[in-house]
Amino acid sequence: MSRALLREPLLHFLIGGAVLYALFAWIGTPVDPASRTISLSRSDQAQIAQGFAQMMGRPPTDAELSGLIERRVREEVLYREALRLGLDRDDPAVRRRLATKMDEIAAASAEAETPGDAVLEEWHKAHAGTFETGGVVNFEQVYFASEAAALAAKGQASPSGQPISLPRTVDAKSMVELGAIFGQQFAQEIAERSVAREWQGPIPSGFGWHLVRLSHREEGSVPPLAEIRDRVEADWRNSTITARRAAAYNALREAYRVEIE
Amino acid sequence: MRKLVMAAWTTTAALTLVGCDMVASDPDAAAQSGDQAQTAELPEFPDRPYWGDTHLHTDVSVDAFGFGVRLGPEDALKFARGEQVTATTGMPAQLDRPLDFLVIADHSDAMGATRRLFDAPRMLVRDPVLRRWYDLMHEGPEGSQRAIAELITAAANDEIPEALRDPERQAGATRALWDNHLALLERYNQPGTFTAFAGFEWTAMPDGNNLHRVVMFRDNDDRTEQVVPFPGIDTEAEQLWDYMEAYERATGGKVLAIPHNSNLSNGQMFELTGPDGGPMTAAYARRRAAREPVVEATQIKGDSETHPFLSPNDELAGFGIAGWELGNLPLTHTTTPDMLPGSYVRSALKRGLTLEQQTGANPYAFGLIGATDSHTALATGDEDNFFGKHTGNEPKATRAMRPQNLGTRVGRFGWNYLAGGYAAAWARGNTRTEIFDAFMRREVYATTGPRMTVRLFAGFDFAEQDWEGDWVRAGYTRGVPMGGQLTDSGKAPSFLISALKDPDGANLDRVQVVKGWVGADGVAQEQVYDVVWSDMAKRQRNGGKVPAVGDTVDRANASYTNTIGAAELRAAWTDPDYRAGQNAFYYVRVLEIPTPRWVLFDAKRFGLEIPEDVIEQGVAQERAYSSPVWLRPAARPGDAPAIMEGA
Repeated sequence: MSRALLREPLLHFLIGGAVLYALFAWIGTPVDPASRTISLSRSDQAQIAQGFAQMMGRPPTDAELSGLIERRVREEVLYREALRLGLDRDDPAVRRRLATKMDEIAAASAEAETPGDAVLEEWHKAHAGTFETGGVVNFEQVYFASEAAALAAKGQASPSGQPISLPRTVDAKSMVELGAIFGQQFAQEIAERSVAREWQGPIPSGFGWHLVRLSHREEGSVPPLAEIRDRVEADWRNSTITARRAAAYNALREAYRVEIE
Repeated sequence: MRKLVMAAWTTTAALTLVGCDMVASDPDAAAQSGDQAQTAELPEFPDRPYWGDTHLHTDVSVDAFGFGVRLGPEDALKFARGEQVTATTGMPAQLDRPLDFLVIADHSDAMGATRRLFDAPRMLVRDPVLRRWYDLMHEGPEGSQRAIAELITAAANDEIPEALRDPERQAGATRALWDNHLALLERYNQPGTFTAFAGFEWTAMPDGNNLHRVVMFRDNDDRTEQVVPFPGIDTEAEQLWDYMEAYERATGGKVLAIPHNSNLSNGQMFELTGPDGGPMTAAYARRRAAREPVVEATQIKGDSETHPFLSPNDELAGFGIAGWELGNLPLTHTTTPDMLPGSYVRSALKRGLTLEQQTGANPYAFGLIGATDSHTALATGDEDNFFGKHTGNEPKATRAMRPQNLGTRVGRFGWNYLAGGYAAAWARGNTRTEIFDAFMRREVYATTGPRMTVRLFAGFDFAEQDWEGDWVRAGYTRGVPMGGQLTDSGKAPSFLISALKDPDGANLDRVQVVKGWVGADGVAQEQVYDVVWSDMAKRQRNGGKVPAVGDTVDRANASYTNTIGAAELRAAWTDPDYRAGQNAFYYVRVLEIPTPRWVLFDAKRFGLEIPEDVIEQGVAQERAYSSPVWLRPAARPGDAPAIMEGA
């Protein structure tokens, strides 16, 4: 048994799963569902009150406490009756929740883990594309309702365009932002244009036609790890959780023979 | 045996389920996930609306799950930020344009009701002994063995830490779900790009009358993990507000509630009386306005702006009411006309003015947003990309004409569902604090799905020439934006109103101002003004009415053209019917030209034959509703303080 294997989250998962199974098998339900006695001790009641206090920041009044106790009794009665009727079996919601719990157990170690610098540096390098910021552009634009009007104005040194509530100058906006403001078509056109001193266009948008003077384009780049450490860590965590769930499932799955007719 | 199992149980818990506490207790992590990085770059004034859905259900909601959804919060976040996911029914699903923010609002009861049954051991590792064990286990096999030995000893000596004994915590499946959920949100929340809010739905429904609220938190998980979602069953709105106040007191955070589907409340959402049926008190009114600054005016289960019965002179009233107007949510009680004023937001805004005159405080001084209330984990608002109210009506041939499940299977059909709306927030940046604060000051608006840009400023000296300069600056410095309030100056209020079409959508038909006020006789009134519309030279008023914009919709092909309507409509408008001392509100309604609804897209896609009347209902003028601006009489000495300073 190597040390590495014992550190393996999958092993933790399997042990956890086995313990859980044993636990469920052993205690099953906290009370025999056939029992018709519901007892709420003083400490049970204190804990109900404590739960309320945690949520509301103050202890419950007597009336609130008896309401909470009544609700607990009601839940317990219905819960036991549901178990007596076997409502927990073949219930897709129950099955799903238990399956989700298993996934959560598999993921939990990755949720808590703090990856070291080396791990993040490697992740940052290996998934550079994920962290690349899209390019940004700076330009001036003037608007025309018709293509003909835009063409007619193109020869002018400083065309004035027609009034519309769009920014006349745009600084350091990404293509996604341009899409939100001017529409997708315009953003795609701008993405393909080069910086030039002249007015370009007319470029169509959702609003009409634009003459554009593209003054600056900054290509996308991957920021250094120090600048985006939390993003890299979040991405590492998301991917690691997914991978561990898959690994844990596959390990369990291997023990099954599945027959699909 | 019992002791052994106890020890093993503890081991599992400590081994596997420590996530959230570790993350949240790390101050660096909290700082990184906060908004600090963004504050330096914020513009002086909001320069664009941020788009989001504040009301989305995933498989954590028991009803959504029952309808079949198998996508969870993580899929919902990926989808909202623009990634492609596979819908439960197997189709690829993606938004044409990403959303800027999302509130996953799963039912709190769904989380709570299942807790015993689904309880797996889980707890936060706050206890120092547990922490030591956790650390030992992570040291390696020797440490792990030592930890287990210590655990067994502790169990034998009856020294198990208190945290492991507390059944309230042990049974906390809600706690577990919530903590996992908050950790997930922190991983997807990316200030400046995509904002993931913590929230839940409080689902109180006395007698089937919908009083639901979405609860939305401003804060990171260092605060939100200190509570769990508040149950809706057997609780009342005032208790929800208690919960919210306790949260703010305990954590220094902020939280708001958003009522929705007032259209299905049978008049109970916006009552004239207090909750006990007696007269409403100023204290209640003030509290409600402070807790619920924004209301959902439109969503998949219908539109709640107004009803033709309430607004007989509003020829464009009645959007999105077919089917929904019949009764409460499960259709156990039908709706009668006397209930309508308490069910729609325009009449509620009027009631607010009346109540303010009576009590000194306005309980219904709220802004307006749209949302989806989708139960598919997919926040779809577009007509050509509608994934259904729930997984049972994800795209398929039968969904448009089938009676749908809410109610008696009589009177409501698939085609009654709207494709869902969105919220637009005038925030200075895409962060939790900026967007939440825009909600608090009601600088938000509703759309029925399209992303038109709507600006509204109110003051006393706005005029057409303001358009020539930096009118946004003028709006903010010489007036108030939507959601704000003016104090009567003895002069008619004037407004700068701009509506820019959705850059990837339909042209605009017209811009209207809806005014509500209390007349000298004490009766609340309303009036809809056409302010500016496309082709004004050709479409001259006829008998006081602006002629219809026309209709380019090709019903068979589910298409339209932008050959009618305008790209932008804007106007400086002054209230022509102002009377000094009037208590009034003004909001803007923007209408698109007619476009096909999802039903026509379905008919084309699946080759459906649908009845003529449904085809006609398959064309609509989608719209935006701004939050109102209020004009309040100058305070007289002795008046109660104004309630609307809020944010």
